[in-house]
Amino acid sequence: MALAFDEYGRPFIILKEQDQKTRLRGIDAQKANISAGKAVARILRTSLGPKGMDKILQSPDGDVTITNDGATILEQMDVDNQIAKLMVELSRSQDYEIGDGTTGVVVMAGALLEQAERLLERGIHPIRIAEGYEMASRIAVEHLEHISQKFDFGASNIEPLVQTCMTTLSSKILQLNKDFSEDDTLISTSVNRCKRHLAEISVKAVLSVADLERKDVNLDMIKVEGKVGGKLEDTELIYGITVDKDMSHPQMPKQIEDAKIAILTCPFEPPKPKTKHKVDIDTVEKFQTLRLQEQKYFDDMVQKCKDVGATLVICQWGFDDEANHLLMHRNLPAVRWVGGVELELIAIATGGRIVPRFQELTPEKLGRAGLVREKSFGTTKDKMLYIEHCANSRAVTIFIRGGRFSLSPSIWFKPTCLLSFVVDDHSLGNKMMIEETKRSIHDALCVARNLIRNKSIVYGGGSAEISCSIAVEAAADKYPGVEQYAIRAFADALDSVPMALAENSGLQPIETLSAVKSQQIKENNPHYGIDCNDVGTNNMREQDVFETLIGKQQQILLATQVVKMILKIDDVISPSDY
Amino acid sequence: MASMLQPQIILLKEGTDTSQGKAQLVSNINACTAVADVVRTTLGPRGMDKLIHDDKGNVTISNDGATIMKLLDIVHPAAKILVDIAKSQDSEVGDGTTTVVLLAGEFLKEAKPFVEDGVHPQNLIRSYRTACNLVSLFPPPPSSHGLDVAVVFMSLFMLNVLHNGQAIEKIKELAVSIEGKSLEEKKSLLAKCAATTLSSKLIGGEKEFFASMVVDAVIAIGSEDRLNMIGIKKVPGGNMRDSFLVTGVAFKKTFSYAGFEQQPKKFTNPRILLLNIELELKSEKENAEIRLSDPSQYQSIVDAEWNIIYDKLDKCVKSGAKVVLSRLAIGDLATQYFADRDIFCAGRVAEEDLNRVAAATGGTVQTSVNNIIDEVLGTCEVFEEKQVGNERFNIFSGCPSGRTATIVLRGGADQFIEEAERSLHDAIMIVRRALKNSTVVAGGGAIDMEISRYLRQHARTIAGKSQLFINSYAKALEVIPRQLCDNAGFDATDVLNKLRHKHALPSGEGAPYGVDINTGGIADSFANFVWEPSVVKINAINAATEAACLILSVDETVKNPKSESAQGEAAASAMGGRGRGGGFPGRGRGMRRR
Repeated sequence: MALAFDEYGRPFIILKEQDQKTRLRGIDAQKANISAGKAVARILRTSLGPKGMDKILQSPDGDVTITNDGATILEQMDVDNQIAKLMVELSRSQDYEIGDGTTGVVVMAGALLEQAERLLERGIHPIRIAEGYEMASRIAVEHLEHISQKFDFGASNIEPLVQTCMTTLSSKILQLNKDFSEDDTLISTSVNRCKRHLAEISVKAVLSVADLERKDVNLDMIKVEGKVGGKLEDTELIYGITVDKDMSHPQMPKQIEDAKIAILTCPFEPPKPKTKHKVDIDTVEKFQTLRLQEQKYFDDMVQKCKDVGATLVICQWGFDDEANHLLMHRNLPAVRWVGGVELELIAIATGGRIVPRFQELTPEKLGRAGLVREKSFGTTKDKMLYIEHCANSRAVTIFIRGGRFSLSPSIWFKPTCLLSFVVDDHSLGNKMMIEETKRSIHDALCVARNLIRNKSIVYGGGSAEISCSIAVEAAADKYPGVEQYAIRAFADALDSVPMALAENSGLQPIETLSAVKSQQIKENNPHYGIDCNDVGTNNMREQDVFETLIGKQQQILLATQVVKMILKIDDVISPSDY
Repeated sequence: MASMLQPQIILLKEGTDTSQGKAQLVSNINACTAVADVVRTTLGPRGMDKLIHDDKGNVTISNDGATIMKLLDIVHPAAKILVDIAKSQDSEVGDGTTTVVLLAGEFLKEAKPFVEDGVHPQNLIRSYRTACNLVSLFPPPPSSHGLDVAVVFMSLFMLNVLHNGQAIEKIKELAVSIEGKSLEEKKSLLAKCAATTLSSKLIGGEKEFFASMVVDAVIAIGSEDRLNMIGIKKVPGGNMRDSFLVTGVAFKKTFSYAGFEQQPKKFTNPRILLLNIELELKSEKENAEIRLSDPSQYQSIVDAEWNIIYDKLDKCVKSGAKVVLSRLAIGDLATQYFADRDIFCAGRVAEEDLNRVAAATGGTVQTSVNNIIDEVLGTCEVFEEKQVGNERFNIFSGCPSGRTATIVLRGGADQFIEEAERSLHDAIMIVRRALKNSTVVAGGGAIDMEISRYLRQHARTIAGKSQLFINSYAKALEVIPRQLCDNAGFDATDVLNKLRHKHALPSGEGAPYGVDINTGGIADSFANFVWEPSVVKINAINAATEAACLILSVDETVKNPKSESAQGEAAASAMGGRGRGGGFPGRGRGMRRR
């Protein structure tokens, strides 16, 4: 990249290694940036909505992910282009803040860029476009506020929350199942039940950890676990914790009712000073005493636990066979090597205290759980420990099962393996299924959390976007100056979301959109959207398709922000090997 | 030629590159102009951003002149000077970094034809210096502007004062304004300055929002000089408007051990203990070894160690503190101990955050837990752990001494927040400057036009070459409004003519007129609240003149060959044009010894 030339046309060397750098400037830079952004949006466009398709992503080490979650797709695509990276971050921000709508935000940004390109070709200054977009986004956000509805819910009335979570889930895992529902109506109904089931679980989980007064929800308190096998319907909410561990001794009881749990962070072994130490043993007697002392330690420790009335010991560290034997002998079930985070969650769920050494064990510090049981799954050797029916369930677990319908992914991969029902292959499919369910549940949890923060909702199915588009279009005429064009372009870009929805659902995009739009204007009702599931009505209110207001607002604002940033760049300097 | 017959005298090491003379000077000017061209488009509210991608794959999107110059990685020795002045402007005033580079580039460009025509650079330098002094010292000119205005920029108002009795009161009010006004008025005036700075940045769309935030933050720290009392925390996610100001301290939840979640997360009026010790069960002394001959003593050693840590923890609890922060680790044992006693703790708090908490809450950082007296404990109205985006934040608000502020920035992408941070830094500096140096001038190129007009007028009173040079200096100053127009896509010539006409009005009422970025015409910048602290301009003009003079005074470059390793490939490219500028026949041809 040469910045200047002398009289003979030879470049000055002004920058370090300047001949190895490339530079794009002016309109070329903008065009290149826009097309990069558009390319990313195009990839995600087909994943939007309840009929959106999934993507298979294979990582460098061969791990396969199937998902239609925008943030996940972009994360795993490992894009290199800088502008594309901005789009990835855009989606990630939406994920961090809202948790849902990660695809929509990218599609929206892509549409804005596409419109901007046209305006640029007409010679409008990029910053004027950006400013116009910004004005338009403000109009749209205000309009959303205007058409939003507040609803009430409480611990007893969770229906509205469940409905909103269902809208989120409908574009996720469920749709993966639906593809197979055609041959079997029975499955289809169970799938619907399953969607509702998952939504209910999510809402209940959030409500049980929520601090309704402070409107604060710490999602760390909800543990999402998955295990291959069973059906999706078997997914359950546990008011307590599951740990992927089993009892330290195979002969210990597998089920404990009304357990009193001692939660320990010290190992069952003689305590060691942290300072470097050495014990000099020079006589046989001394050795004997040491041995006896060690044995006494074990004995004391177990006795201590017994004395305070513990019926289960959960230990962060391991203990050797001697201790294990003693515990078994004294009929004190124990679990070892439980991770710090799980230990904490157990303490929170059972209301116990974490005890750092045996001397401090007191009956008050024990946690209580209605039922602790070890459960094994199917024919596998996997065992899980359930700690449930806890008195204070400030920490809950969502335990995902799945796999029955999900033979499908494995079939897609290896058609030849159709008959060879190999466990590996099978579980590969299941694992992906569970991972995807986890992501979907995460989205649903976020939606429920957002609703607790802000009770307003808008209607989904593209209805909110169409309504905003109408409002922005109408407002555009009031603005003098070049920005007017940009505002109109923004309205067009808003249409692209319902358009993509219609496209993905196999409807005629233009026809459907214009029909819905005219219906909205004619009846002055912002609830008409795209009927993706072919239910027969366009009224999203009747269909119970909700989205959170803050989620939608965030989408529009974030997309505008990033587009503005991209438009503002007129000079790209990069090492040319990139 | 005779010289061919004589053996060459070798003075310098093999491979040393030297070039000298007028050609060298011209080529240096060219290089500087080229560099100035890079940042040219970032000026003003319609300025564009640059995306710079370095070898390591780090990407920066910025509009800040200093940042861009730094990242360009300039190696040209003369052009490097421009980088330095941008940096100095950044550290001195914080804003106007693009302006300074642009001005320097323009001064040099104006000087070039004179140099080519054989004017001695020293003549130019002297005239430039005079012009610069005229600008910043403003000696009483013969005309009616005979004011002892230490700041020419003040002359704007003063001119009006003299010529337009009507405007006197109003403008005086505006000019001297910031002193002795009520807090509210002061704030709104400062916010105007901040908004002008921000308008050219990425967050320009929300400039009012951020301007008032910045002003609140600066006012919060009061006369405190340490800028690090304003913390800026970046949390990706959310939109710009979700950014918020905490009059106190906020920092991200630190690494926590099991038991942390059992601690209470909200306190009102807690006592806060700040520590700089480790609260962990560990060996007290490194390299110490205990030898035991009697195994029964074993337990006593273990107990002794536990007692040490328990003793420490107990002292913390006894002090009455409800929040315990430490710069070093607070281990799991301590976490659980505190959780049992309903105390919140956070270990591994970054040093600057801890210092800020200390300043805000009035506590003192302790290096021992012995003898904790009440005076060393801090307090605040509310302490809370809150969810911000995807992170949990510890927020101390309503602090008694209130000498700190924390801005939590939100935005759609990392690059975005980075750039927002740089922009806010500029705005903060500007507001602080404006607070101290309470004079402001009209922005939007108005002040540059006014100085330019004044210099032209002054030049006419000079006989001799200097007249020409000062005229060219005056012309160079016009680059600011010209570039503002160019960046916005307006007809620069047209606008500039209008401006010149306005400024030349004998009544002086045209003085505050600058480029109107919205309509492409001209407008009264002062009335439109496009304000800049005068110190920005003074520093920019001084620095740019210094740099230009420095470059003009160089007539030879001696460059040592690169060290062995790098030489191979570099030699080829270095051959190219390293300021040899052999275009001038005869005199001035650079001598090159190879």
